[in-house]
Amino acid sequence: MLKTTRREWLGLTAAGVRGCSFSRWMTRLACDTEEAAERKRSCILLWMPGGPSQMDTFDLKPEHKNGGEFKEIKTSVPGIRFSEHLPQLAQRMNEMAVIRSMSTKEGDHGRATYLMRTGYLPQGPIRHPTMGSLFSKELARDGADLPNFISIAPFRFLSPAAYGPGFLGPQFAPLVVGAGQPGQTDDVDASLQVENLKLSENVTAAQAGARLQLLEQIETGFRAERPGLAVNSHRSAYELAVRMMQAGGAAAFDLSEEPDELRDSYGRNRFGQGCLLARRLVERGVPFVEVSLSSPDGNGAIGWDTHQNNFPAVQSLSEVLDAGWATLMSDLKERGLLDSTLIVWMGEFGRTPVINGNAGRDHFPAAWSTVLAGGGIQGGQVYGQTSEDGMKVTDKPVSTPDLLATICTALGIDPLRQNMSNVGRPLRIVDPDAVPIREILT
Amino acid sequence: MKRLWMGIFVVVAAANTVGLLHADEVDELAGTIDRHIAARWSEENVVPAPAADDAEFLRRAYLHLTGKIPRVSEVRAFLDDPAPDKRRALVDRLLESPGYIVNFTSVFRSLMIPEAEAEPQFLINVPAFEAWLRVRFADNVPYDETVHELLTTSGSGNDNFAGRNLGPVEPNPAIFYRAKQNKVENVAANVSRLFLGVRLECAQCHDHPFAKWRRQDFWQFAAFFETPAGKIKIPDTDQVVEATYLSGEKAVPPSGTSVRNELATWLTSSENPYFARATVNRLWFHFFGTGLVDPVDDFDADNPASHPELLDELATEFAEHNFDLKYLMRGIVASRAYQLTSRQTDGSQSDPRRFAKKAIQGLTTGQLFDSLAEATGYYESNAERNPLNMNENSERAKFRQLFGNEAGEPANAETTILQALALMNGEFVETATDLEQSTTLAAVVESPFLDTAERVRTLYLAALSRYPSEAELASMVQYVDSGGPSDEPQTALADLFWALLNSSEFILNH
Repeated sequence: MLKTTRREWLGLTAAGVRGCSFSRWMTRLACDTEEAAERKRSCILLWMPGGPSQMDTFDLKPEHKNGGEFKEIKTSVPGIRFSEHLPQLAQRMNEMAVIRSMSTKEGDHGRATYLMRTGYLPQGPIRHPTMGSLFSKELARDGADLPNFISIAPFRFLSPAAYGPGFLGPQFAPLVVGAGQPGQTDDVDASLQVENLKLSENVTAAQAGARLQLLEQIETGFRAERPGLAVNSHRSAYELAVRMMQAGGAAAFDLSEEPDELRDSYGRNRFGQGCLLARRLVERGVPFVEVSLSSPDGNGAIGWDTHQNNFPAVQSLSEVLDAGWATLMSDLKERGLLDSTLIVWMGEFGRTPVINGNAGRDHFPAAWSTVLAGGGIQGGQVYGQTSEDGMKVTDKPVSTPDLLATICTALGIDPLRQNMSNVGRPLRIVDPDAVPIREILT
Repeated sequence: MKRLWMGIFVVVAAANTVGLLHADEVDELAGTIDRHIAARWSEENVVPAPAADDAEFLRRAYLHLTGKIPRVSEVRAFLDDPAPDKRRALVDRLLESPGYIVNFTSVFRSLMIPEAEAEPQFLINVPAFEAWLRVRFADNVPYDETVHELLTTSGSGNDNFAGRNLGPVEPNPAIFYRAKQNKVENVAANVSRLFLGVRLECAQCHDHPFAKWRRQDFWQFAAFFETPAGKIKIPDTDQVVEATYLSGEKAVPPSGTSVRNELATWLTSSENPYFARATVNRLWFHFFGTGLVDPVDDFDADNPASHPELLDELATEFAEHNFDLKYLMRGIVASRAYQLTSRQTDGSQSDPRRFAKKAIQGLTTGQLFDSLAEATGYYESNAERNPLNMNENSERAKFRQLFGNEAGEPANAETTILQALALMNGEFVETATDLEQSTTLAAVVESPFLDTAERVRTLYLAALSRYPSEAELASMVQYVDSGGPSDEPQTALADLFWALLNSSEFILNH
């Protein structure tokens, strides 16, 4: 295709059109991109569909028969130890807060996914928004070149509604990349591209500009006579789409700009490269990015659902996780972005301490772990405790709303803010009974 | 196979015209609507918008009744037709067309089993359920009978793997239960929302302080689906409750019949205060984008209807006319409120619950795809259209991924970035606006007897189902003749077609 810079495109557009006024889309775009927006805190959610085993990641019990095969290793913080298969993360423990006392009630994938990702249980007709939609709405920047919520390699199968904007509406839906099914594309780079972000090869830049102006001309009359949400959302979607196309939106997704060495350390798999993409997006001001790790090769299975052969599965997932996540933290830190970026690691529940007859672990919501790291978090600590056999929380239990309220607070969002729901009553971002964990917040 | 189906439709359609309603009944129903709606306008000093012109009405009626926009030739014929009753005649014709059957099969399928859209693995069951609905709409089966059959079906709701071989699919209403995972609480919650407009399920787990329905009410209703016993134990309690109607009356089935049968009879009875109202309200929502009670499944003292007397009268007429959906549709579409323009001409029209201008609605994925196909002359093979086609690379499947309403929600009028990108740069629209590949565009460009103005007009008719205004025509002719940035009038026509297909006027039902 014709390679054209944004400036050239604007120039061509202005020259190429006769008989109609210069599109406001173009002028507005040119002004906005000149101004550097003030940075707010961003969030990267590392989502582990299927439910990762706390007993084999962040809350090992090597003394107990439930402990299993893995050994503990020392971390950079004296006294805190976790899995031997997360050695790089162990070196970053001073930036992480491990919560070992998650305690929830949902042991079904669908309901638990919905609960952890929206903060609420499914309740009849209410369509709860996923946290990316909720938080990015609060953190949104005006005039941004990229969408405020980007979801990388989501595994939506377990609860599709838990991945959507719910009652907030499609304006708050994530831009999804890397959701391709196995076999569709084995090319990690290609799978992480945004579809249709580039002009078709048969359309010149000048022609694209002329088309937009024709569109603007057609829109003007219709829009003026029909004010309201439908027409406005069409306008804002097209504006943002054009903005992404022109302002190097495609470049944000072009991982080939990164040094090979760095790409290798993230791990040459969908999750690792997804973490790298997350860094590039956060660097460009995107306030909420989620990256899912469903299986080591990103082939769309739910690898963390280890009912059988738990240990080899968790080991290979841990290796992918360790490289991607730890490199993400060091990379953010080197760029001075770790303080302004909160990283959240969680799945929908944990796994049974008791090892079943198939050397597996089953669903277990009663006592499990999540991790918060980076911006807004007082690192280097473990919060809460489980019993020696791992069967119950013995100190400082944390509920789903407590966790989400903590995330909100770390991001500078008031968890009690309300949104109007689809059933005609307002709903707070997080259940008002929630108590943020002050001890782990900066 | 499709040809065979079409043949059946034609026969059925011919048979049905015998039962056409007397015109006065439709006028009377429309008059009832107009009277109540206008009364509120004058009470509240609302200035209604002017009437829609023929083109606006035509496109809207096609989308609501057949799920896609009209062909260029149909637009021309309708606009040229001098007959004063042509709108009415159009509606009668559309209600007897295969498009009506296909459209309402899809509308009611997504109402009854929205799970099919949320769970890809459930798609396999769609053909059997749609086959059942299709026959209902083809025969114009009274809606109470349709629902009665759904509630009493004894068929198996197991996955219909037989459908895999693309052979004839057995109609199977029991898929409804399979979609609700055969769980009595799911079935009860859905039946009460769908057919009674009541959200009982909020009371599933515990009593709510201000809600009318208590936990016991929910489980008493759920007991109807616990056959044959008609009794159920409320979870986490020792309390066993028996099948009881929402009226508080216990079901006493005569020996030999099931409680489920009793429920179906009670629910679909014209005495039932909920059923006809809930149905009328759903249909009203389909045509206006806002229910008389809104949300449509929340009939509650705290959520009153915007026009309660109108709702009551429509419900009574609907029941008296043998629960005939087409009768209701004819009346609604003939009403003044439906035939208003969607242009806002006065600030008092902004409240959607006053119905003082026609609401703007989004298209469903299917409607958008079918309308694009109609506008561009895209030919979709039978294999692609088959819902069992799991080929994620088919154009329809790609659209479903981008535009799909994940939880089976009614069409949303909002556009997302990915949708905008797909329409701007996606392969489908690209092909449609490619001089060598687009059927419509090729026809417009290559016809030697057309001048520029006529070419521009044809593209407007194809995409927007209307002629361009004088000003639009002049400006677009000038653009095309100038050749645009490519300096080629043919490419400039492609540019215009692209812009028309990307416009909100094309993407919305207005």
